[in-house]
Amino acid sequence: MTEEGDGLLVRRVLAGERQVYARLVERYRDRLGRYAVRMLGNRADAEEALQDAFVRGYRSLARCTSAERFGPWLFGILVNRCRTYAARQARRQALVVTNEVAVASASVAHGEEESAWREAIFWALERLSADQREAFLLKHVEDLSYEEMEKLTGTRAPALRMRVLRAREELRRLLGEMVRD
Amino acid sequence: MTEDDEAFVKVVDVLKEPVRIAPDLTIRVMAEIEQFPVPGAEPTPTPLRFAWARRRLTLRLSPLGALATAAGLAAVVLAGSRIAAPGETSGLQGAGEAAESMRPTQFVLVAPQAASVTVVGDFNDWNPSATPLASANGGGGGVWWVTVPLPPGRYRYAFVVDGTTWLADPEASAVEHEFGRPSSVVTIGGA
Repeated sequence: MTEEGDGLLVRRVLAGERQVYARLVERYRDRLGRYAVRMLGNRADAEEALQDAFVRGYRSLARCTSAERFGPWLFGILVNRCRTYAARQARRQALVVTNEVAVASASVAHGEEESAWREAIFWALERLSADQREAFLLKHVEDLSYEEMEKLTGTRAPALRMRVLRAREELRRLLGEMVRD
Repeated sequence: MTEDDEAFVKVVDVLKEPVRIAPDLTIRVMAEIEQFPVPGAEPTPTPLRFAWARRRLTLRLSPLGALATAAGLAAVVLAGSRIAAPGETSGLQGAGEAAESMRPTQFVLVAPQAASVTVVGDFNDWNPSATPLASANGGGGGVWWVTVPLPPGRYRYAFVVDGTTWLADPEASAVEHEFGRPSSVVTIGGA
């Protein structure tokens, strides 16, 4: 069966086939989920933000002006939702002791040294400010250009470049400390 | 940490590793959007893939005799040969080629205790009310079947018995998980 493109699926949903939206969710669930998990550092928040983004995407689907670009359009919604959730997390930060993702990752068949290194990466990522973490993930993990990041975040490229630079410096400092320990 | 140093590459590699989100997220999203109206938009034409429903079809399928005597629970999917459409009366000229590439695919489940059986899969968007199976004696004979014309391709599917029990095809070899539940796979060959 030829895979139906996003555009056709979006148009079918808009024509009343609500169930077809499940196929778009399936298609992008993991791809977008990675950003949410990395940005928020735990699965519960990430899945909540992701669900929220998909539901908001459905409700405003008629505003997805380029149906073929459903994925990037929904990613924009998710980035915004993650900001909201990250702000909530910041308010309850005192309660956050461990990074759940780091712990979960460490338990997956990696050597002890490898696990420690992976855990350190997630730990260090969580130490970044939300703005820096967002910019770093968009630039280096999602491989967006600064122009794309500008559109997505509403922040000008020079400021984004600065955040990415600071994020790299901070990661180096944090991971360097870890190595020295 | 510069972009080309080893540590940086390693950090990015770890962060780029794929993440598996719980499959039931799809179900949760679909349950939540039920309460909202379909988002307004321009109406679109009926998708081509449903054109078969309007055609008069002549099906050639394998016999099911052996199955009727099977004890307990068994199921099978039979992919027929190319659909011939002689005496076609509907006016779907543009859809002709697509419809003629359809293969009549018969889904059969032997379930003597069932009151109703439907099939869900990629081809009907996993809608449990879209494709009911029929039976000879209201299920008394135990053999339930439905024929669905499908274009060549690979499909995941499962049966839903009595509206509640999700059942992978016990006769199918490949099993994948759809929405966190077992499902089966059938591949319909080309011409």
